[in-house]
Amino acid sequence: MALLQPDFPALSEETLAALRLHIDGSFRAFTREHGATLERAFEPLRDFLLLIEKLLTQAPWPLVVAVLAALAWAASRSWRIVLGTVLTLLTIGLFGMWQDTMKTVAMIGVATLVALLLGLPIGIAMSRSPRLQAIVNPVLDVMQTLPIFVYLIPVVMLLGIGRVPGLIAVVIYAIPPVIRFTHLGLRLVDKDLLEAAEAFGGSKWQRLRHVQLPLALPTVMAGINQTIMLALAMVVIASMIGVQGLGQPVLRAISNQYFTMGLLNGLAIVGIAIIFDRVSQAYGRRLQQHLPRPRG
Amino acid sequence: MSLPHFSILAGAAALALLAACSKPEPATGPAAAPAAGTQATPCGRVTVANMNWQSAEVLAHVDALILSKGYGCEVELVPGDTVPTLTAMMEKGQPDVAPEAWVNAVREPLDAAVKQGRLHYAANALPEGGIEGLWIPKYLADAHPEIKTIDDALKRPDLFPAPEAKGKGAIYGCPSGWTCQITVGNAFKAWDAKAKGFVLVDPGSAAALDGSIAKAYERQQPWLGYYWGPTSILGRYAMVKLDAGVPHDPAAWENCNAKLECLQPAKNDWARAQVSTVVTDRFKQAGGPAFDYLNKRSWNHQTVNTLMAWMSAQQASGADGARHFLKTQPELWKTWVTPEAAAKLQAQL
Repeated sequence: MALLQPDFPALSEETLAALRLHIDGSFRAFTREHGATLERAFEPLRDFLLLIEKLLTQAPWPLVVAVLAALAWAASRSWRIVLGTVLTLLTIGLFGMWQDTMKTVAMIGVATLVALLLGLPIGIAMSRSPRLQAIVNPVLDVMQTLPIFVYLIPVVMLLGIGRVPGLIAVVIYAIPPVIRFTHLGLRLVDKDLLEAAEAFGGSKWQRLRHVQLPLALPTVMAGINQTIMLALAMVVIASMIGVQGLGQPVLRAISNQYFTMGLLNGLAIVGIAIIFDRVSQAYGRRLQQHLPRPRG
Repeated sequence: MSLPHFSILAGAAALALLAACSKPEPATGPAAAPAAGTQATPCGRVTVANMNWQSAEVLAHVDALILSKGYGCEVELVPGDTVPTLTAMMEKGQPDVAPEAWVNAVREPLDAAVKQGRLHYAANALPEGGIEGLWIPKYLADAHPEIKTIDDALKRPDLFPAPEAKGKGAIYGCPSGWTCQITVGNAFKAWDAKAKGFVLVDPGSAAALDGSIAKAYERQQPWLGYYWGPTSILGRYAMVKLDAGVPHDPAAWENCNAKLECLQPAKNDWARAQVSTVVTDRFKQAGGPAFDYLNKRSWNHQTVNTLMAWMSAQQASGADGARHFLKTQPELWKTWVTPEAAAKLQAQL
């Protein structure tokens, strides 16, 4: 009748305590041994991030607005989107959030770049290997659902507080869509087209480069778009380990009930999110225009 | 309103007020179930506020064990928080005891209630009070005996390299949104730390601040930053508080150092916060020897920090910590209780 009791036969308190202490102890030993090495390994990334941030925060603001507007035009070819971008940036500047916003833009930009550099190859590899897919999928599930602070504090113990651990947290949270959508996009490419390409003597690389990737691009763009959105959603969380930008005033506002301050900075995050979203979506649509209509 | 607790605590006042007076949580073991049928409980039923931070939690459990096993009270622990618990005590006379009340947060209404005789101060639970300020690790203080004050530390930006600003020193500040963020920011200005080559690093959260200390300690790196005690961090990682070099000036503090809009703050030391045990009038009258116990019971930072460090290392609960304390430090708690209570308690450990 032991099974009919409400108390689950858990491991004994002592065993659990010993387990926790052992794992914590091993982690501490690991940080002592390898923390400094890891920190050094991430130095180039940190310097790159600082450089981008410096460019955005120290350049004259009209120049930054002009460059961002030009980028928006290059990607979207839409006056409406460019106008929206410029107006949003000017409003943000007017309300005194320029510096914080630029720091956030730098962070999101670099995080997205890292996510793409890592995510695209992983997505491509997954579409070719069902075994890899079986391994990567559950990992992505963990990355998207594991409560962030569970890995944030260990990362802080390894790398200290600041931008790099923040960047790692953002990338962990934001990379799954790039991987999943790249994989999906490549899988969805018409088999007939691939066979045709093979019949014309295209090598594996040529088929990927000239047939699969172009056809998958709209789907990949949707993934990139999602990655950017998730990265922006992490801004406030990342500021909890000392990442500078719009997250810090939001945190300050939350714990002091400064409603206006919270709302303004929150809206600035929304503003950048909409810019990034519209621009990347328009870019995705433009890519699609040159492609044959999908057969249905 | 100077210690870090309060800024976060005060906000939840209304919510936790409900929690404080509606949800009693039985104390551990025999405390919850006094010998059935015996009405030999001279002090009767007593509710003890179990505040939601570690030092207060362990003190509440120590009180619960001593009051129930030593004095035969029927103890109930109720969850609490500074402002809601003390407000409930003032307004409703419940709970009976707040073992570790940081009274600065509710100074005015509390003093009024004490004047009217509704509440009473018992012992100063922490005679040294709550302390805050800038700290360095002990190993660093030993290696650099010349660093005693904040000014000494500010002469050495090279010793505390900032991870993200080359050639600058770093002062780890107070987590975003806490009251201390303002006082630390003003101290940074007052000591002119920027001109001395330092940046103020916002750790974002208390967890990240703790993480940065743990990281420095594991690798014996230098660290300079804001912290407060008593805390388990200070028990686990021996730290030395830097002398401000100036006394605490309450008037300047209220007018400038504690204000965000303070333009030209002057150097000012952080105050020691008064930490007292507060009891209701009902319990003072009915408690008898049990009240005498609360009137004597106090411990110092060293004891609390060490105990909390043990708890953190074992990942133990407040109840475990209290039992550990009673087992290992009888020479201290025996000075608080009557010989009979000590004998009874000793027999049940």
